[in-house]
Amino acid sequence: MTIPEEPGAGTGANGGTGTDERGGLLVSNPLASGGSQDADTSLHAWLDALERVAAQPRRNDARPAPRIRAPSAADVEIAPELRRLESWIGAGPLRQVSAYLEGRDGYDAFGLSRETLLRAFPFFYSIYRAYFRVQSRGHEHIPSEGPCVIAANHGGLLPFDGAMLVVDAMLHSDPPRLPRAILDRWAGTLPFVNVFFAKVGQVVGTHENFGRLLADGEPVLVFPEGVEGIRKPITQRYRLQPFHVGFIEHALRARAPVVPAAVLGSDDQAPILFDIKPLARLLGIPAAPVTPTFPWFGPLGLLPYPVRYRIIYGEPIHFHERFGADDARDPTVVRALANRVRRSVQTLIDRNR
Amino acid sequence: MTSVLVTHADLPLGRRIVKRLWHDPAVGQIVGVGEGPTPRAFDAYRVGSSPRLRYERLDLARQREVSDLFHSRRLREAGVDTVVCVPRHGATPEGPPSWARLPLRTAEARILLQHALESQAIRSLVALGSAFVYRLDAGHANHLSESSDLDLDPSVASSVRTWIDCDMLYHGEIGNPRLRVVLLRLPTVLASGGYVYLNPGLEGGSGPRLRATGFDPLCAVVADKDVARAVQLALHSRRTGVYNIAGRELMPLSRLGHWTRRPCLPVPGPLLWAAAAGAARLGREEWRATLDGPHRRFGFSLDTRRAERELGFRPGYRVGLARAGDGAMRIETVPAPSHP
Repeated sequence: MTIPEEPGAGTGANGGTGTDERGGLLVSNPLASGGSQDADTSLHAWLDALERVAAQPRRNDARPAPRIRAPSAADVEIAPELRRLESWIGAGPLRQVSAYLEGRDGYDAFGLSRETLLRAFPFFYSIYRAYFRVQSRGHEHIPSEGPCVIAANHGGLLPFDGAMLVVDAMLHSDPPRLPRAILDRWAGTLPFVNVFFAKVGQVVGTHENFGRLLADGEPVLVFPEGVEGIRKPITQRYRLQPFHVGFIEHALRARAPVVPAAVLGSDDQAPILFDIKPLARLLGIPAAPVTPTFPWFGPLGLLPYPVRYRIIYGEPIHFHERFGADDARDPTVVRALANRVRRSVQTLIDRNR
Repeated sequence: MTSVLVTHADLPLGRRIVKRLWHDPAVGQIVGVGEGPTPRAFDAYRVGSSPRLRYERLDLARQREVSDLFHSRRLREAGVDTVVCVPRHGATPEGPPSWARLPLRTAEARILLQHALESQAIRSLVALGSAFVYRLDAGHANHLSESSDLDLDPSVASSVRTWIDCDMLYHGEIGNPRLRVVLLRLPTVLASGGYVYLNPGLEGGSGPRLRATGFDPLCAVVADKDVARAVQLALHSRRTGVYNIAGRELMPLSRLGHWTRRPCLPVPGPLLWAAAAGAARLGREEWRATLDGPHRRFGFSLDTRRAERELGFRPGYRVGLARAGDGAMRIETVPAPSHP
């Protein structure tokens, strides 16, 4: 079995199966019955059984995924629009983004605009380098071609963790790859924001969009915690919320490996003291947070603190080698695999904090 | 050899399809029908004592007139075995949208389908539908395949409602063992010169339109020549089913409006309806054509892999701006380098 077993998985501070997630699982788990202690035991026994099944070799019945490959950064010239920035940013990062955009013009099927990406890259690179001073390792775990799902923890009020991870993966992959971050549908309803996100390559998380991205061989970045991740209070920081499971379904169908990733720093960029949930419901927004600076300093209080970011990529998990596309329809299997990824991300966080 | 009946052959898309089929050696007789007089563009194709192309003027929304056509000797003699259902446009290129006539689109589809099913001679029906029938989720670009959900919201705009009704009518007969039904779902159709067809928000004459501030939905487009090619491929294919047809280009609504001389003015969302209604009262009827519902905020692109796989359709024309003879920049559709 090539799935790496992390020490402490399932037994850490928030390791393995959390309380919330157990509650969710017990409803659909046929093995769970009786009181909470029995249910707990049954659940762990069931998860162990599932892992044992997973360890057995399985017929590989799905077809290979198609691939998209950009040229290597060494083989391309810096895009003319970026040449004036060479002395400021350096040739390396500019070559990376130029190589990614080689042969792309206009808009792609999800609204990615070459023009906007070229304009936005220097800004995000500046934040990446000077403001958050991102350090990262484990880039070799991102496949150099073919589809993959990068599953990371989510934190901070504004999604700078996604932006930094996208920039980091773009800078450290050869040929360069731009992970397409999956957005909450709420982001798609925001004026101006929805257009900007789409133009820099982010995609609203519908099943069609997700499936097509993987079918096209794109790396996809997901935050399986969803909005629960960005609105968790300071007492819960770096403790993963229950994962949504849709990314596992799509990973199985597209035969895509799942790369767990830990983003350290995002939970410190805007520590939430408490979230006024009734106000959020009233306003129809995901969270109405109170932080040390918001709402006291107005909109400026939402700006992230200049914390140092660290991004760690874990070994890819090849669920599709043991599970087929049909298993994507089995909610118990999908839930268990999502929990498996959750444990991997939590372990990466706990080891590197 | 197949002989074809083309509806609304007097409208721009119908004319384009007729011309394409006329040059197809595998197509025999072509009977075009429409509400208007014989298009002058057909003059060159109707020479000789027994021309391959005939044109008849009739109202396709009238049951009796369509019934007479399907039972006529002239249709039998032409050996028509295929019907190409070109839909009624929302507006002519020159005039404002004709809102009162839009429900007739559904009536025409129903009558044509009924007679195609009853006729023993008709074996195939190729219908042009609209990709505006899909339900849109929030987002700048929804990627839609043929299996995406239709927008069955009862509050959907009437211009889109007619497309959905037609779509469901054709869709209901797709499994019919006797009549082969092919439904082609089209996004915004563009033609050289900056003409726009089948887009509820941009049809009609040039001039400003309204859009919601902060939203600039991505628009899939297709050249009218590619639509004619897709119809031709569907005609000769043995496949049945629904196919998305789209070109290579995608562009935001603001650019599409700019290119087609229909600049889309941003108006804050809550004021959009009031602004459109006010403009309509002042005589700017085409401003009412502002996209309604989710289409005013959310865009879509189409997954055309099924059409490529089963019909062999790949967009053969590119849409771009070119300088016209009068010095103005206009939309032009030109063959792509890899055009078959």
